[in-house]
Amino acid sequence: MTIVELQDVRKVYPLGKVEVEAVKGVSFCIEKGDFVSIAGPSGSGKTTILNMIGCVDRPTKGTVSIAGTPTKDLKDAALTTLRHETLGFIFQSFNLIPVLNVRENIEFPLLLGRERVPKKEREQWIDYLIEEVGLSQWSKHKSNELSGGQRQRVAIARALVTKPEIVLADEPTANLDSHTGEQILELMKKINREMQTTFIFSTHDAKIVGLADHIIRLRDGLIIENVRNGTDAAALCADLAGESVIENSPVQSARS
Amino acid sequence: MEIIKLALRNLARQKKRTFLLGSAIAFGIMIVTVINGFAGAFVDNISENFANLAAGHVFIQGVEKSASGKESDIIRDDALLMQAVKDANIPSKYISKRSSAQASLIFAGHNAQLKVDGVDFSKETFLPERLMFIKGGLEGMKQRDGIIISEPIAKRLNVQPGDRVLVQLRTLTGQQNVGEFSIAGITVDAGIFGSMSGYANKTYMNELLALGPEDYQLLGIYLPSLKGTDAYGKALYEKVKAVAPVFDRDAAKNDQNFIRSFMNQGKTETWTGIKYRVFTLNDMLAQVKQIADALDTASLIILLVLFVIIMVGITNTFRIILYERIREIGTMRSIGMQRGEVRNLFLFEAGFLALGGAVFGLVLAFIVMAAIGGISFSMNSPVFIILKNGHMTFKVDAARMLLNVLIVAALTEFAAFFPSRNAARLDPAVALRTVK
Ligand SMILES: Nc1ncnc2c1ncn2[C@@H]1O[C@H](COP(=O)(O)OP(=O)(O)O)[C@@H](O)[C@H]1O
Ligand SMILES: [Mg+2]
Repeated sequence: MTIVELQDVRKVYPLGKVEVEAVKGVSFCIEKGDFVSIAGPSGSGKTTILNMIGCVDRPTKGTVSIAGTPTKDLKDAALTTLRHETLGFIFQSFNLIPVLNVRENIEFPLLLGRERVPKKEREQWIDYLIEEVGLSQWSKHKSNELSGGQRQRVAIARALVTKPEIVLADEPTANLDSHTGEQILELMKKINREMQTTFIFSTHDAKIVGLADHIIRLRDGLIIENVRNGTDAAALCADLAGESVIENSPVQSARS
Repeated sequence: MEIIKLALRNLARQKKRTFLLGSAIAFGIMIVTVINGFAGAFVDNISENFANLAAGHVFIQGVEKSASGKESDIIRDDALLMQAVKDANIPSKYISKRSSAQASLIFAGHNAQLKVDGVDFSKETFLPERLMFIKGGLEGMKQRDGIIISEPIAKRLNVQPGDRVLVQLRTLTGQQNVGEFSIAGITVDAGIFGSMSGYANKTYMNELLALGPEDYQLLGIYLPSLKGTDAYGKALYEKVKAVAPVFDRDAAKNDQNFIRSFMNQGKTETWTGIKYRVFTLNDMLAQVKQIADALDTASLIILLVLFVIIMVGITNTFRIILYERIREIGTMRSIGMQRGEVRNLFLFEAGFLALGGAVFGLVLAFIVMAAIGGISFSMNSPVFIILKNGHMTFKVDAARMLLNVLIVAALTEFAAFFPSRNAARLDPAVALRTVK
């Protein structure tokens, strides 16, 4: 089942008087429950694409659909609700709320929005997540008392607390040493398997790309490789987007 | 709830900055509260001191008009009036009946002008309690021509107790009259009003004024407190009006200067017998009230001016806060915080800052007022009239205090509003990307 679909997505940033085309027409689909890597060197457009999937940014052209909802015409409030209910975020520099402790950081998204999880249920769920990311001893600590790896574990728990269908992680290991980075990625993979949550992470580190079921490789705002479990993944969207997309697909143009 | 918790913790983040801003707010509140407190007590203290000097809160004056058109103050038979006082159910602490005149005292080539009140010392037992003698005392008043004067007048005349001074005044009918007083006692200077008064025996004053021994000029009713002044004044007016001719209070009601217009009513009227004029301390002190109101208005202007400056600081600080927390704002927006919630978070911070500052300011104000109130002024201080027992007192109106706090809170919110709205309107992608 397709959970994320990008159709001929372009993003142009105004930069003074000139324009920078960060994403130059990208189409792909992501299956629910996959562990997806968006790989590519710095400046290739990874953050821009993740921001558009994450509904924090809008494409200049093309459409992005999340869990079957086209996001194009949604107003800010609706996009915020979509982010809150369907998406989880993990950032390169952790981005914990500094005045909140570990437990409060994890709980924070649950206290936003209209829906209220009963307190007892909430407590149990947070206990479970803290246990899951291995921070039981640290729940009362503020983020400035934690190591980078620990902070990212808090961020993972926070991203999962609303039980989102998709978790987005923009270079989650870039600020960590390689050993810690691998542990973080393995934790993400474990949760992906246990909870069937779709993970989409970006990286420029070739070593961790290998953990993914589905790899979308970028260069200069174009897809140069789109492989899922060893086979070409461009066909994933075929039934949805039609022939033309595939013919114009950067995958083919990159290979030709 | 979560937003309130975050707002409070965010304020605690930069303690020094929060403290400075809060102190600025506190300072504004403190100044205004002290001024309000002063203005509040100002009227009360002047009224109280004045009531003591004039020996009453509510007064009845009797006025006769001669064939030649001359007005003279006199109350002959007061049975009617005393019945009216009774009927009006006035809880008087005491009643004074005085005859007074503007007189000049002359001694060895020096002279001094003063108002001499003829007092029945056997009845006005409260008066001696308030007189603070420097020299001589009440003993001397046993002499029928005894007089008590204040220190500045005694100095002017260069007299001592026992000295005999010449007095010059006009009788009720306007004749020049001359007599003699014997200085019985010299009291401390009681301020602007008090120092110009002297006290003599009523029987002797009546003689000098050519009044009958039982006559007098002004009936003063001293109430247990200032509070009932207007109400009892009105009640008494109605009662007297029902049994005797009175000057029409309603006719003067709309005049800018009520008391002057009311006091001059007799000039254009003719009547026979005695016509009564019922008036109160508040009528006489209307201008004092105006001064206090002006002080209150001034305090409001001070608050606003101070706050315009403080608001610039608040706006700038919140701009800085926005910049400092830009990534945090981006994060919160990403994980599902709505624009309005981001704005409210900032506004709550501003609100708590204002309330904290205001409470701090009120505490400071009460400390300052207690400190000033602790200073003991000498009784001959020129500010005596605004003092209570030699101390400055303050009376802060709770509603006024609340109003000041609300104004401060509203202005703080206003100052924080635009930065807060800008924070809410930040594009989350831009906020997340910004590196400081
Ligand atoms: N706000 C922006 N304004 C102008 N150019 C931008 C902006 N954001 C990104 N870019 C440019 O777009 C391209 C892709 O950026 P980005 O998506 O951040 O790549 P990555 O995350 O892979 O490093 C880069 O050339 C970058 O310089
Ligand atoms: Mg990036």
